[in-house]
Amino acid sequence: MSALDNKKSSYIKKNKKVSFTFDGKKYYGYKGDTIASALLRNNVRLIARSFKYHRPRGIYTCGIEEPNAIVQILNEHNEPNARATVKQIYEGMKVDSQNRWPSLNLDIGSINNLLSPMFSAGFYYKTFMGPKGFWKKIYEPIIRRTAGLGKPPKEFRSKSIHQNHNVDIVIVGAGLSGLIAARKLIDTEYDVLLLEQDSFLGGVLKNSNKVEQINNQEVNKWIKETERLIKISTNIKILKNSLVTSYNFTNHLIALEDKFAGKAIDTSKSELTLHKIRTTHTILANGHIERFISFRNNDLPGVMLASSFEKYIHRYGVIPETNPVIFTNNSTTVTLLKSLVDLGHKPVAYVDARDKNKIGKKLLTYLKKNNIPFYFNAEIEGCDGNKKVETISIRKNKNKIIKVKSSMLCVSGGINPDIHLFTQSKGLVKWDDKLITFKPDVPFQNTITIGSVSGNYNYEKTHDEINNKLSFLKPKNIEMKIKINDTNNFNIKELWETRHEKKSNWSKSFIDLHNDVTTKDLKQAVVEGFDRIEHLKRFTTNSMGTDQGKISSINSLGIVSKILKKEISEVGTTTYRPPYAPLSFSAIAGRNTYEFYDPQRKTPIHNWHINNKAIFEDVGQWKRPWYFKEHDSETMHQAVQRESKQTRQTAGILDGSTLGKIEIKGKDALEFMNLMYTNPFTKMKPMTSRYALMLGEDGMIKDDGIVCKFNDKHFIATTTSGGAPKVLADMEEYLQTEWPHLQVYVNSITEQFTTFNISGPKSRDIMSKVFTEVDFSNENFPFMTFKVFNYKGTEARIMRASFTGELGYEIYITPNHGLELWKRIFHHGNVFDLVPYGTETMHLLRAEKGYVVIGQETDGTVTPIDLNFNWMIGKKKKDFIGKRSLTRSDTAREDRKQLVGIVPLDKSEFIEEGQHVVERERLPNPIKTPVEYLGHVSSSYHSPNLNHCIAMAMIKGGNKLMGKKLFISSSYGTKNIAVEVVSPVFIDPENKRLTS
Amino acid sequence: MTKLLSSRDIDISQRNFQQIIIRGDGKDRFNQIINKEISIIPPSKNLEVTKDDRFMFAKNSFDQWSLIYLVERDYKEILKFISNINSNDEILASDYSYGQVYFEISGKNRNEFLNKLTHFDLRLKKFPVFSMAQTLIAKIDCSIYHLKDRYIVTCNRSFEDYFKERLKDTANI
Repeated sequence: MSALDNKKSSYIKKNKKVSFTFDGKKYYGYKGDTIASALLRNNVRLIARSFKYHRPRGIYTCGIEEPNAIVQILNEHNEPNARATVKQIYEGMKVDSQNRWPSLNLDIGSINNLLSPMFSAGFYYKTFMGPKGFWKKIYEPIIRRTAGLGKPPKEFRSKSIHQNHNVDIVIVGAGLSGLIAARKLIDTEYDVLLLEQDSFLGGVLKNSNKVEQINNQEVNKWIKETERLIKISTNIKILKNSLVTSYNFTNHLIALEDKFAGKAIDTSKSELTLHKIRTTHTILANGHIERFISFRNNDLPGVMLASSFEKYIHRYGVIPETNPVIFTNNSTTVTLLKSLVDLGHKPVAYVDARDKNKIGKKLLTYLKKNNIPFYFNAEIEGCDGNKKVETISIRKNKNKIIKVKSSMLCVSGGINPDIHLFTQSKGLVKWDDKLITFKPDVPFQNTITIGSVSGNYNYEKTHDEINNKLSFLKPKNIEMKIKINDTNNFNIKELWETRHEKKSNWSKSFIDLHNDVTTKDLKQAVVEGFDRIEHLKRFTTNSMGTDQGKISSINSLGIVSKILKKEISEVGTTTYRPPYAPLSFSAIAGRNTYEFYDPQRKTPIHNWHINNKAIFEDVGQWKRPWYFKEHDSETMHQAVQRESKQTRQTAGILDGSTLGKIEIKGKDALEFMNLMYTNPFTKMKPMTSRYALMLGEDGMIKDDGIVCKFNDKHFIATTTSGGAPKVLADMEEYLQTEWPHLQVYVNSITEQFTTFNISGPKSRDIMSKVFTEVDFSNENFPFMTFKVFNYKGTEARIMRASFTGELGYEIYITPNHGLELWKRIFHHGNVFDLVPYGTETMHLLRAEKGYVVIGQETDGTVTPIDLNFNWMIGKKKKDFIGKRSLTRSDTAREDRKQLVGIVPLDKSEFIEEGQHVVERERLPNPIKTPVEYLGHVSSSYHSPNLNHCIAMAMIKGGNKLMGKKLFISSSYGTKNIAVEVVSPVFIDPENKRLTS
Repeated sequence: MTKLLSSRDIDISQRNFQQIIIRGDGKDRFNQIINKEISIIPPSKNLEVTKDDRFMFAKNSFDQWSLIYLVERDYKEILKFISNINSNDEILASDYSYGQVYFEISGKNRNEFLNKLTHFDLRLKKFPVFSMAQTLIAKIDCSIYHLKDRYIVTCNRSFEDYFKERLKDTANI
């Protein structure tokens, strides 16, 4: 029989017809239909091909638990793996089936089903082992081609957003129990968030006619009234189309909201919202999930869970088949039976695995009265048909098989409380022998479970349960009378799999439909020794699909427990991991992508840099000019060579605003600085500055900078650009934990001063033009001193210091004056050929002078002694951070890697950074025995001022190797570059330029 | 004041304030020194904000205060104040006047809007009027001051462009 409409549909808008395509063919459904309900309405049963065997598959469920009907939405950026049972249709929607070629009906991949005896449990682990050369060229390409279901989206830029919530109570699920809980919390002191995965409230109330009336009201009226009361309340917010996917520690939940459920996506708007919810209490009212039963060919299109069939009737108003067969082992299918009869139809057969006395007289009478063929103590042996159910074999009286004809088989293997979220929250579950399922036991967080998720399947008693469990919240007292249309005594017979009659390699009894795992695979895995449930899961891939085995994982435990002859509670359960259902990476990323991936920091001079053709590099979050192009065709090498040469010949200026700056003040500031840095500051004169080193407690160099001393109680220290936050945090930490007796305060002033470094032989001339009131003569402004003076109503600080080896000044000015001053310097500097330079030139110039960069010459394993910075260590100081570690045998040994300079013997050759320093001229090919490694090249540049390559290297016992010939490996071959070990100071070793 | 955006019951303007960060022990002498200079007593409760027509004064942590000038002053006056304060060994005052940017966020949907960018609990019962917090907004370290019908959000000036773009993006999407 074909599908029919249920005129009493509670949800579908039958006055709004919607057209969509499936595999290119046009169909019609109604507004509110899912792809699945619309296809069922059009009598389309074949929806997909299975993952491994490419077996024909149909619609198995009516919700998020669907393992089969997974499709690709072409007009949503080719969105793959959408669940047809959840995704709503809209006008013009284009849907394709997945994992088939060339068509769904004729899929070449179905040859896998014929070859299925080869693809047994653990196939992936046993195959592809050899021959050795096959992996790269044969196995991997084939596996990559066949792996996965859908095709990934193309050229899609998501606009998903994140929304944070802080509430007192979250209610997950707006079914009967969720709505009762919400209603009791209306206008209380609590901020409440009610989350519902569907587009409407009601859950089970709209999925079936299990509940007839609430407070003498028809259920739809009660839902409407409840929703209205919640909406006008001041404290409860409802989020529909929002599926809770994760329940993390400290009552933190993640829910994904589909903003375009049932609508075409507007690409200018956010299509998904990821709600991040922090709550005090979580009420889980997320219901239950029906499970299936394994039998021969239990995957044929036409086999469907009984409650899902019922849901299609009541929620979507489509009767997928007027005369199905119902197969159950429990009492929940009665309402399906009644629904069909009420609509004037009846099942071909009602097959119940339970004993007659468990079924109950009431049902038996009903079946007889309506002339419905029924079989108790019976089971489905299997079903057969070509790409759909045609014949169903019923085993009655233990051995006798009878065959009936129907296109649909409704199966119920019992119901499981939906404990995924509860277990994600680290709540403990326990096995219930009466319900034959796991249910929540001890919560780990402030979690309350109500309704069927707690194992309470008696709707009449839901209100009592909620009263009891929420009493500590002192909610409102409300009257609640629930009239049900069903037995309130849930009973069930344990049945996981039925006995097969037909022996065939192509007839299968599936335990995991999504991953094509059969019950035979489970048995084989146990035989092969995988008798622990976590091992077995991974060996067979059971319940590892995107549905996480929602309808089948308990069944596999049941089957395995039988094989192992153990109780299910002894076998245990696998871990339910977030997310509860698949969510896209774009939703997780939200807006933190592309231009918003990482915050960007810009200096006040940034726009000037852009206008002057700066190419930027990222230094931490800062955008720093790397080099400036003189013209568009100038290469980086040309620009850096030009900037470097000009700086040494005339003058260059660098935007150093990114340098970290920390102000230190207090009566114990001197002692504090002496403890933080290796240098001694006691005898340092006021208004002078000093290059300073900071070590870790292990004695390794952590950061460097220049310390300016105003007086013994007031200092300003600079740090590296990337190291500023860490240095400040370390200072605070030491002050609060190690030296609380010191009266010192520290403030970050990085952003409060725009900083320029001007250097070169003409820098004094330029500075004198810019700051006419300052005497820059050597006598009045010697090297490593600083002055503070007024500049246009603000305070400026100028320090004579240099990171290039040239005569140089550092200028510190408030940011609102930064750009004006920068331009003023250029105004006066143009006649002196002042050139702006970037970080690459800065590195080159400092390398020529032998200055180190923290993080380039150092890597967390370098001490000041390794860099020959003994002169920076205050040996007479009682203590400083790292002092004790400098005398350890390992840090004091002479063969540690030490800083040296390197120049190639052939001056036309270039040395690459990071290359190895060795004693061998040529490396063997292939390398069979280790080649002794002496060290590595830490910095290397072509010096325009020396006209050859200069490099710095960290070499074992480097200080004793001066003048020695060594070799540097290269990336071009096995021949190494011959070099000479020299002093790392290549230019002006006498500091004449610096102090000129 | 520069109006940045006004949409869906959100109004955001950029403000130009001057600011000083003050460190100290918060004891009587500290209070007297400050009061003598600007005739206002620093708030004593952690994360508390006091405000008059001239200043917004917040206690950021157990030993840190933030003094924001709501009415622009001659910069020399501010530098003078800092200099006077710093003449006392037990206090550190650092000028933050032009290194920070300030945004005034008002409108009915300001909490929902900001909660697209921060997880911070802005509910009145958790973040009362005249309190402040230091938290991440749009992945940036910010201070947020609750002034009844609006928030003042400040961050480092270097983040200004990024932060403004995030605010606009959040309002538009």
